[in-house]
Amino acid sequence: MVRSQADLGATAAVAVLACAAAAMGAPVAVTAVLGIVLFVAPGYLLGQLLFGSHLAGLERMVVAAGLAFCVPVLGGLILYAAGVPLHRTAWLALLAGATLAGDLGVFVRRFLGRNSGAPAQEAGSLIKWPEAWRLPTRHAVAYGAAVVIAVGAVALAGVGAVRQHYAGFTQLWLVPKDPDAQTANLGVANYEGRTIQYKLVVWHNKRVAATWEFNLANGRAWQQATQFSDRYTITAKLYRLPDASSAYRYVVIQGDRTPSS
Amino acid sequence: MVAVSAATGVLIVAAAYSAGRLGHANSPWADRTYWLGQTLILAPTAFRLLSRRFLARSETVTLITVLTIAEYLAMVCYSPSAFTYADELEHWRSTVNILQSGRLFTVNYLLPIGPHYPGLEEATAALVSATGLSVFTCGLIVAGIAHLLLVYVLYWLFREVSGSYRIAGVAVLCYASNSLFASFDSMFVYQTLALLFFGLTLVAARRLPSPGAAGQRVGWFTLAVLAIAATVVTHHVTSYVLVATLVVVTVAALVTGNWRTAGWTTVLSMLSATAAVGWLAFAAPQTWTYLQPYADGALRGLRQAFTGGNAGAPPVSGPLGNRVLGAAAVLAISALLPVGWWRVWRRYRLKSWVVAMAAGSACWYAVVIVRFAVADGSELAGRAETFVFMPTALILALGLRQLVVTTVRWRARAVSAAALVVVLLLLFDGLANGWPPYWERLPGQYLVAGFERSVEPEEIAAATWSLAVLGPGNRFATDLGSYPVLGSYGDQDPLRDVAYLYTSRTVARGALSQAEAQSLRYILVDQRLSQSLPAAGQYFPVDPNAGKYTHPLPTADLDKFNDAFGVDRIYDSGNIVIYELLEP
Repeated sequence: MVRSQADLGATAAVAVLACAAAAMGAPVAVTAVLGIVLFVAPGYLLGQLLFGSHLAGLERMVVAAGLAFCVPVLGGLILYAAGVPLHRTAWLALLAGATLAGDLGVFVRRFLGRNSGAPAQEAGSLIKWPEAWRLPTRHAVAYGAAVVIAVGAVALAGVGAVRQHYAGFTQLWLVPKDPDAQTANLGVANYEGRTIQYKLVVWHNKRVAATWEFNLANGRAWQQATQFSDRYTITAKLYRLPDASSAYRYVVIQGDRTPSS
Repeated sequence: MVAVSAATGVLIVAAAYSAGRLGHANSPWADRTYWLGQTLILAPTAFRLLSRRFLARSETVTLITVLTIAEYLAMVCYSPSAFTYADELEHWRSTVNILQSGRLFTVNYLLPIGPHYPGLEEATAALVSATGLSVFTCGLIVAGIAHLLLVYVLYWLFREVSGSYRIAGVAVLCYASNSLFASFDSMFVYQTLALLFFGLTLVAARRLPSPGAAGQRVGWFTLAVLAIAATVVTHHVTSYVLVATLVVVTVAALVTGNWRTAGWTTVLSMLSATAAVGWLAFAAPQTWTYLQPYADGALRGLRQAFTGGNAGAPPVSGPLGNRVLGAAAVLAISALLPVGWWRVWRRYRLKSWVVAMAAGSACWYAVVIVRFAVADGSELAGRAETFVFMPTALILALGLRQLVVTTVRWRARAVSAAALVVVLLLLFDGLANGWPPYWERLPGQYLVAGFERSVEPEEIAAATWSLAVLGPGNRFATDLGSYPVLGSYGDQDPLRDVAYLYTSRTVARGALSQAEAQSLRYILVDQRLSQSLPAAGQYFPVDPNAGKYTHPLPTADLDKFNDAFGVDRIYDSGNIVIYELLEP
């Protein structure tokens, strides 16, 4: 009796390839496909280990997928309890390790089943799925059209989200680096949607201490350390040129940082 | 054709959402477009599942798959580029924390109990690590697959206990009418994944005692144990409902004399109770203090409702159509459940699982009482519907079946049509009175205290700035709109009871003392609070004036911090200003 163990070979290969792709920094398109299969593989193998091919298509798929979720949920806890930091390597090792262990377990089960005369269709059942799921052509065309329309719907929503108009804004901040610091962090960030010319004036009490004029592209920030002392209050006013008459943004930090209460 | 129709429905819903984003969120035609899309998703599926024509088993599965995926995609289209639902933002933060620190049980200021139930975040972190995709993409994959699998598990369970795949299909259709099916139950939240494990446990419990499972008992028992463990570490309430469900099935099995079922469900209920209590005691003792206020509030409200001691729930608000739909749905379910029970008595009274579901479906009346009679009961009732609708859906399907089979031939078509109308009414009620609420059904421009409509680039920029410059975990006062953004993108610790800071003309000494007692460090003021009324009825997470505002907050109340001694104005982005309270 010849039995296919192609599913075991395929899952083992995915485990190795997914780890290799991650280690080599492969493109996301590659790691995404391998990663999803690696995520599902332990569940499929656990399902094979527990039930063989005694479950029908939908039930087998539900059990396999459910078990696939159990692996990181419970496996992650076990790793964490063992003191393993849950970084990328740990997760990959968990999924790949569970896959390879599952391969071994299923192989042993099938080997023992063969010796005890279990039904032949128990092995390699993953390979037989496509036959059971074959669709009439008109149904396949209809489902294909539905998928295309649905993808188009999500794309349309994505375009709508990108094109949604938001009012632009500019951030201005002035924050002492820590309570005992002699300098404060002064910054401007532009999210107006285009390059803006700014003028920034800093006062120590009522005396101008510094002035800057600069252009800032959209999405860019400008930062400067400014002197800070408990002898004076710092005020920073930002003007959006050409309007230099009224402050566009302003911030104030007090010199004496102890409230009167 | 049902799949094509549903996909077209999703496309039309997406078009309505895009219209909302491009400035037509309040347009009646955009709203009608949304409902047209939903009709194309729901009506053909319901029609086919309830029609009197032959329906193959595979077709039933296809129909419920199409319905579930279409509604999920419609939800994705609402926020296609990032999470905006507050609950999703909470779990996004926890997942990012695990990925960045490599540790479980890290602090999540927005949902402190969340990290103690890390199942969803673990699964997502593992998928992110394996695929290299973003947390948002992997979160959508995990939540979407878990939701679809739950639907399959329910179909499987309904088919097993009713013995009919058609009844199972109709039951799933009825379940899809629960008000959170298309929103909260498929969001990236811990309950979504826990429900899958919950369902798997029930399926295993159903299969364990069956004579046909003799060779697979070890498999089913192992599956049950794994699913119980995963439920317990993923979501608190779901694990407690699992224990309760298994106890109810045990009692039903004892009543119906199914000793084998009673034995296995006793074992599983004891296992799940031990696991839930053990987790509560050793890993998540905070759960009790997290859940207690909800339980106390519900019990107090119920007591007041029955004794007449105080006003119960506030008057039902919203458009007249929504209220009529809600009332009609309550009436329809109230009338159908007894018909279903009659069918259970006639055909299934010796079947322990059906009897258990009939008993469980009676909880639906309790949910109605909580929704309409308890103050703040509508959210609690909505959350309960997720669980209560499981048995209720089956009994409704049995009720519909009873009506069809007892009708004389010449009236059969009319009864089938009436059944279709009732189920569509339930489905549209679930959407109309579910989430998002009617005033943000379509995404669009910023709304004050508008939940998803308050999540905009300026709020996100302020939150990410706070994390980058101020560091994580600072105690912030903020309004309802910025609250989830600041806690998630900003990893800050926003406080709920801060309305007193925003509703006075001057910075009073008492207010500063209270802020100091709360260890408050920063105050975020959104100037738009003085420009419009709060969409949610309240400006702050805890707001003594909720539902009572007749005009926006005065500008002077928000600007008072500019001249206050001991308060620095450290950040200004136009609409949003952040003040720092100086240490005494």
